[in-house]
Amino acid sequence: MVVSILATKLYIPPPPPKVVTRSRLIHQLNEGLAAGRKLTLVSAPAGFGKSTLVSGWIASREHTAAWLSLDENDNDPVRFLVYFIGALQTISPNLGADILNILQAPQLPPIDSILTALLNEIAAIPNDFTLVLDDYHLVDAKSVDEALTFLIDHLPPQMHLVITTREDPSLPIPRLRARNQLTEIRASDLRFTASEAAEFFNRIMNLDLSAEEVATLETRTEGWIAGLQLAAISMKGQQDIHGFIQAFAGDHRYIVDYLAEEVLRRQTEDVRGFLLETSILDRLDSSLCDAVTNRTRSKSKLEQLQRGNLFLIPLDEKRRWFRYHHLFADVLRMHLMAEQPDQVPVLHQRASEWFEQNNFTADAIHHALEAKDFDRAANLIERAVPEARRTRQETQLLNWLKALPEEVLQHRPVLSVHYAGTLLQTGLMDGVEKRLQQAEQWLEKEIHKQPIYVDREDFQRLPGLVAMYRAAVSLLNADVTNTMKYAQRVLDLASEEDNLLRGSASSLLGLAYWSSGDLDTTYKMFSNGMNHLLKVGFIPDVIGGSVTLADIQITQGHLREAMSIYERGLQLATKQDAPVVRGAADMHVGMAELYRERNDLITAMQSLQKSKVLGEFNGLPKNPYRWRIAMARILETQGDLEGALDLLDEAEPMYVGDFSPNVRPIQALKARIWIKQGELGKALDWARERELSIEEEPSYLREFEQITFAKILLSQYQSDHTESSLNDAIRLLERLLKSAEAGGRMGSVIEILILQALVYQMKKDIPVSLSALEHALKLAEPENYIRMFVDEGAAMATLFREVAARKIMPDYVGRLLSAFEAERKGIGEETPPSAAPASSSLIEALSQRELDILRLFKTDLSGPEIAQELVIALSTVRTHTKSIYNKLNVNSRRAAVKRAIELGLI
Amino acid sequence: MENEQQSNSDAKQSLVYTFKIKGHLGQQWLNWFEGLAVTLEEDGNSLLRGPVIDQSALYGILKKIRDLGMPLLSVNFTDSNQPLESGTGEVNDDL
Repeated sequence: MVVSILATKLYIPPPPPKVVTRSRLIHQLNEGLAAGRKLTLVSAPAGFGKSTLVSGWIASREHTAAWLSLDENDNDPVRFLVYFIGALQTISPNLGADILNILQAPQLPPIDSILTALLNEIAAIPNDFTLVLDDYHLVDAKSVDEALTFLIDHLPPQMHLVITTREDPSLPIPRLRARNQLTEIRASDLRFTASEAAEFFNRIMNLDLSAEEVATLETRTEGWIAGLQLAAISMKGQQDIHGFIQAFAGDHRYIVDYLAEEVLRRQTEDVRGFLLETSILDRLDSSLCDAVTNRTRSKSKLEQLQRGNLFLIPLDEKRRWFRYHHLFADVLRMHLMAEQPDQVPVLHQRASEWFEQNNFTADAIHHALEAKDFDRAANLIERAVPEARRTRQETQLLNWLKALPEEVLQHRPVLSVHYAGTLLQTGLMDGVEKRLQQAEQWLEKEIHKQPIYVDREDFQRLPGLVAMYRAAVSLLNADVTNTMKYAQRVLDLASEEDNLLRGSASSLLGLAYWSSGDLDTTYKMFSNGMNHLLKVGFIPDVIGGSVTLADIQITQGHLREAMSIYERGLQLATKQDAPVVRGAADMHVGMAELYRERNDLITAMQSLQKSKVLGEFNGLPKNPYRWRIAMARILETQGDLEGALDLLDEAEPMYVGDFSPNVRPIQALKARIWIKQGELGKALDWARERELSIEEEPSYLREFEQITFAKILLSQYQSDHTESSLNDAIRLLERLLKSAEAGGRMGSVIEILILQALVYQMKKDIPVSLSALEHALKLAEPENYIRMFVDEGAAMATLFREVAARKIMPDYVGRLLSAFEAERKGIGEETPPSAAPASSSLIEALSQRELDILRLFKTDLSGPEIAQELVIALSTVRTHTKSIYNKLNVNSRRAAVKRAIELGLI
Repeated sequence: MENEQQSNSDAKQSLVYTFKIKGHLGQQWLNWFEGLAVTLEEDGNSLLRGPVIDQSALYGILKKIRDLGMPLLSVNFTDSNQPLESGTGEVNDDL
């Protein structure tokens, strides 16, 4: 399920058994920690002993520490975060479990919300600790730099970060420096001083050099540790050490050239061969080395290299995996390339085979590509696709695919179509068409060449897959005709059991019908699609689809059905014994909107609170936008029009476009508030900008805006009493009504009828006005619409008194009248206590662990018993408890339980 | 302006760069640096010189130099029309 974590990347390399004590640097590091600085930056070129210093420092103290050795693959921010959390889990085993879950989901929430959730969990770690990011120079991705900057900016006080790197990272270093939040150790600090060099040669390496000889070596290498180490290895067992030093000092050659050759020359032919041949490996174990060198006894070779200090670094406790020091590995590889260039692909080939047999797919692909055995690589990639797609490794998948030459891809239809899918999934539209065509050519009858694929079944699904991606591309291009054409083709082609294909196609077809305004078909197709996807376990997609389905029901005037869709979605999202699935927060937002319409503002606010406590992190990408809209509507209902406008402004840039049409644009929502504020000029400007006119043909996609325009005309009449505005409004509403009735959009029909009642009231034609209102009431009663009427204010209240006098639907009208009455008396009593948390601060979201503890609060377990139940330390329970109290703004266990029950958290 | 025209008209061609590195490098680095020629200077430094196809290739070379801990003294862009011989005159001006 999770991106499989290589434990070797999290292993804290032990310092070598005998090592130069670097008290001045250790002192500097300790001081930085004691001063509470956030970051220690160890920045120097290769071979300056950065990692050795930091691992030695960690080993020297009782301080908790975690380690992450970075590599080029960590340029994918998702993978970086997975490993970042993996490293933290070595300290706090359950940390970030739900975040890891989220990182595997098909759509990611905003990265800041993931990071905030992570910071919340870090903040709950009871003791101080250090995290080391080793070899940060291997990360080039701006997205990772930005994520790390965010983490550093908000770093909880108990965490200290150490970065070792060969180049200064793109982090806000000057700012940290200026605020005294940075400890810096650079090349000039790391160089061995003369006395450190003396200690190294004489105490560590037992070479017994004179002070003068040490000084000569120190000058020649300028204290560069890798150079001194190579020199020491070269001198071991040397007869004429003095002569060696003189020759080295008098030579102009690049230090590594001179010394590495010296070191290699002194090895037996056997060891030398082993070093060169295994240099192609990023990590070594004896069985892998046996395979690559085509020899046995690698185990004893590795032991021999370790004894000889030949830059072999252990990667785990069991001493199974090792790697060469990167600098030494580069030199070895260079020698291999210079001396046996033909051997290089052969070695990679053997490595690829071994990794494949041992189920290390990524390594197998890497070495196949290095061997330039592209057919082999293509086979491996094709087999890796489903797993890579499922675990969100599209970035890596794309890199592999890009490494394959066109000639290879041309014969691999299955890979081509997956290439298109991967591009689409990473949001890259360029090239999708080309790959689809490449796959499609194999579907023609007249083809005389043979396609290459791994699995016959994959090839048989090809026509369906191609059509499915074409439907998706068409929909993204707002090409409804082609979306329908291709989606229908998928349904014709896909087998009955292919739930994934059928579900995707059916949903796409539904969405295409949506744009055309045929809501019944939209609903049927889309819910059918969701049922298929549910069968193959695409739960987040299904929950996200609930929003679409409920939206349709609301437009059709089926508020009760919409509510039960949200309830079912919530059930799916909060199944027992599983972490909350993303989308639960979205369900609460949808329910808030429905409670508001029922005039149950307290429950509506509570729903929004629940959504907020679950965190944006638990929401789908659209949720931050939808949450603010729902909140703005509540504020509007409460009469806080300015507050509502502020929230709409805040929501606007958060809009995330997806496959569904935006039928309720935010500008129209604003225009409706402007009308209420008497800002008719602004509303008219908006109408002009949107080119709204009474001549325009009514259409579903523009309906919300067109109804808004009718409201503007009404308001215009009230301000200038020109008969033409009124007549325009009448004509417009007439046409809108016909269109909405024809499309079965009863929600819209009710709203239009209400406006008709108002317009005829203005025209002093009370019988017509009342008959429109009565019609609206008949449609609205079964679904218990309240706010739709009450929001129209005093004029509508007057009409209702007439309706009541005529004893029309007395129960419903009675309820509405009392709502009008409550409104007139002032909204104060309706306002729930904690109104107006305008911008939702994410820090308040409760973590999974905090929710666990909250649930146990309800029992009569004591603190120590809770700790036992959850298998965590009592101090951890206390830390979480403090954080729960803070977030819920309470100061006792009882109050916390009460509040949590109110919020529906437990 | 002149430079811009030059690089535009040569857009398809590689540009020639010279990297000055402290210490004398052996000829075996030729493959490692994908075809850059090594010349040794009398002052004990080396010049790696040759065509570099684009900016990302340039950064690739800089990374290799960095990863070997080779002290880099200067990087110079050279007009590709000039002959590829080394001369001390070309590279010492920005040290």
